Amino acid sequence: MQKPDAQREKILDLLEHAGGVTEESVRQVSEDTGVPEADIWGTGKFYSLIDTPGKRTRVCDGLSCQLAGADELAASITDSGKACERVSCLGQCDLAIATLTEEMELKTYTKKETSITPDDPELAINLAGPVDLSYSALKKSISMGAEAVIKEIEVSGLQGRGGAGFPAHIKWKALRSQNETERYVICNADEAEPGTFKDRETILRQPHKMLEGLAIAAAMIETSEIYIYIRGEYGNEYDSINRAIEEAQTQLAQFNFTVVRGHGAYICGEETALLESLEGKRGMPRLKPPFPTEAGFRGKPSLIHNVETIACVPSIIHRGGQHFKDLGRTEAGSKLYCISGHIESPGVYELPLGVTLDELVEAAGGYTGTPLAFSPGGASSGFLPISMRALPLDYKNLAEAGSMMGSSGVVVLNDTVDMAQAAGWQLEFFERESCGQCAPCRIGSRYLRRQNDAYLKLGDPIAFEHADDVAWEMEEGSICGLGMVAAKPLDSARKHFPDHFKTK
Amino acid sequence: MSDSFHIKLDGKSVSASSGETVFEVAKREGVEIPTLCHDTRLEPVGACRVCLVEVAGQRRLQPGCAWVVTPDMEIQTQSDRIERHRKVLYNLYKSDHDLDDARLPLETGNGNQLRELCQTVPDMNLAPVEAPRSDRPMDDNPYIQFEPDLCILCARCTRYCDEVEAVNAITLSNRGSATTIATAGQRSLIDTTCELCGGCIDTCPTGALIEKKAPKNLVQLGGTESVRSTCNFCGVGCQLNLHVQNERVVKVTSPEPGETLNDGNLCVKGRFAYDFIHHKDRITEPLIRDANGDLQPATWEEAIAATSAGLNRVREKYGSDALGFISSSRCTGEENYLMQKVARAAFGTNNVHQCAAT
Repeated sequence: MQKPDAQREKILDLLEHAGGVTEESVRQVSEDTGVPEADIWGTGKFYSLIDTPGKRTRVCDGLSCQLAGADELAASITDSGKACERVSCLGQCDLAIATLTEEMELKTYTKKETSITPDDPELAINLAGPVDLSYSALKKSISMGAEAVIKEIEVSGLQGRGGAGFPAHIKWKALRSQNETERYVICNADEAEPGTFKDRETILRQPHKMLEGLAIAAAMIETSEIYIYIRGEYGNEYDSINRAIEEAQTQLAQFNFTVVRGHGAYICGEETALLESLEGKRGMPRLKPPFPTEAGFRGKPSLIHNVETIACVPSIIHRGGQHFKDLGRTEAGSKLYCISGHIESPGVYELPLGVTLDELVEAAGGYTGTPLAFSPGGASSGFLPISMRALPLDYKNLAEAGSMMGSSGVVVLNDTVDMAQAAGWQLEFFERESCGQCAPCRIGSRYLRRQNDAYLKLGDPIAFEHADDVAWEMEEGSICGLGMVAAKPLDSARKHFPDHFKTK
Repeated sequence: MSDSFHIKLDGKSVSASSGETVFEVAKREGVEIPTLCHDTRLEPVGACRVCLVEVAGQRRLQPGCAWVVTPDMEIQTQSDRIERHRKVLYNLYKSDHDLDDARLPLETGNGNQLRELCQTVPDMNLAPVEAPRSDRPMDDNPYIQFEPDLCILCARCTRYCDEVEAVNAITLSNRGSATTIATAGQRSLIDTTCELCGGCIDTCPTGALIEKKAPKNLVQLGGTESVRSTCNFCGVGCQLNLHVQNERVVKVTSPEPGETLNDGNLCVKGRFAYDFIHHKDRITEPLIRDANGDLQPATWEEAIAATSAGLNRVREKYGSDALGFISSSRCTGEENYLMQKVARAAFGTNNVHQCAAT
């Protein structure tokens, strides 16, 4: 039980400035903030960027980086006598292999550059388009009033683009119905789903669309407090946000922006874990209900949106909900699809929501080699066989196919890939990123990874004797979405690629 | 003010009040919902997942310990789905737990509720996951031992330390399968804010926290006789259960939370300082020094007479204010009252004090 005046929200930044968790740093931070030492220790030890002091090169082990040979790169760094740590996806799948240097700067090992859709003023985000500093959508929304704005959002059919696909207008309405007037708008820029780098490009190329969307949301729910939580590995993107806030300080004068850096934990992209992290705690998801719209940051009503979702808002205000809706094919709006892996031009493509894999890959220069499988929406979505290449990549169709739209981080795998190995990489990710709070996820993700390892080593499918039961329990019994999908990569690979899991 | 309404529990209409959880209603109705992470003194966290039930209209299973009932809610505590959930969950716990030869969770002197639960489901024989949970091998505190391979990370101990004792000596640390119970810097508990109250041991459902002093095989030895007593280390009046084996106290616990004024809690003295009971140097009768200065057994009448004679001697020679009376913090309020009465009324001095007053 900490003192009422303890400054818990500060502890993670203070630990990072002190170089990570040590007995000394924890004692000092406790003295400076009034938070008990044990709480600081336990919280710091949750986050991979600060849990262990010391410099090292961090090599991504996300799917696209693994396909590009990250194991060999890591081995060569270790062989050269330098400290090397394998880390979860760094969000640079188009530039694989990605590393963070000892100075925490991004270094990629590729000759390619990120490809994006060429300038098209029709598109909602239009990454390649000119930067608009007018903030005219904000002015327009204020003159329209909240009801009219929310109506347009409803007409637009805008769904949460972080992965859940929840209709945006329902959250805005829920916020406005709260009696509590201390309210927060929170931008989830903790982009860490393997295969995903769309928010990165949005922040680097169109940060004002995000800021303007946040400002509109804040004005509509009658608050001035806006928090942006960005993953700690995104250094250039953090700078980009701060630069943009500086550039637009006149237009945004009535809002207080706070940009908070994460400290290395995928789970903090889950909205309630993000709230815990903002409050200076271990990023363990909360039980829902209550939902954040009712009791979120500091226990107050909070409107949480992914970067891409909120960046669609200015366009909706400018051109109306129907225009946005019509940009989609099977569902509403244009959508940023990330694509990487065995294709020609990895990057972020803004296409009608509901395009097929073939159309997306065509925009990205075509397949390399003979395609075998694809992961349509990050590690959480598992794998689908290339025979589903004509399936519309949208929320409904992918869910019906037993997968999910997720963060639309598409990774293509050609026939050089062993699907049991690919599943193993994803299982390793979930085991490492499980918060450890509930048993189905904490134990189940480790169990499945070890059983898959046993299969890879011995070639005997007996290793999967109980995999279905364990996967079922992880989905049924876990607290949050991470645990619910952590078995998906193995589950889907075994279902769609039985030949890769036979006796060897 | 709480509204009263009806809900359906396993098809039966039962009454409930607003603010109540499924677990509370079920308990009152005699419907048992198993749980490991729940302690009535703590905020529910729904972390162990043992108490998941089906709530009509909810796609997912929900934790009974935290789910608040509303009018006409329909709850199912038994179904094929719940049965499968419990079977796989308990077996997952087993794959992450020290087991005995019968492939059941090991039982320490502090019992293991997981063992009881595992006996209700078939064994899936899942391979052990060998979680890298660290312990504190250097922790040389005299009372509390942590066995990481018996820990299920329900966090009752850390939450108790925080929410009830407000001490915050222990914490969940690390992440994922490496999650463990730690102190800052993994220091010994005596080098932390820990007050060694042992409440963490008491709330631990699986015996991962053990009393170093108590026999390790207390449960296996067969039941101890439990003797209710009142702690005499201070005047609060905490109730104790003395666990007696072969006429010796081998462990002290509190009655269940909610039953007595100490609400399941004890302090370091009440829980651990019972060695004096059987100590060879313990004074069990009044003693008076003889002419040589050696202590000799006496009756209470003789002892009280010797004391009053000594006090009166001083008073007659030097006056009342040459006397001073100090009572012990172990005395009750009534005893303290009597002590000042002796000082003021019997000996005529205001020199009276109580050791806990400074």
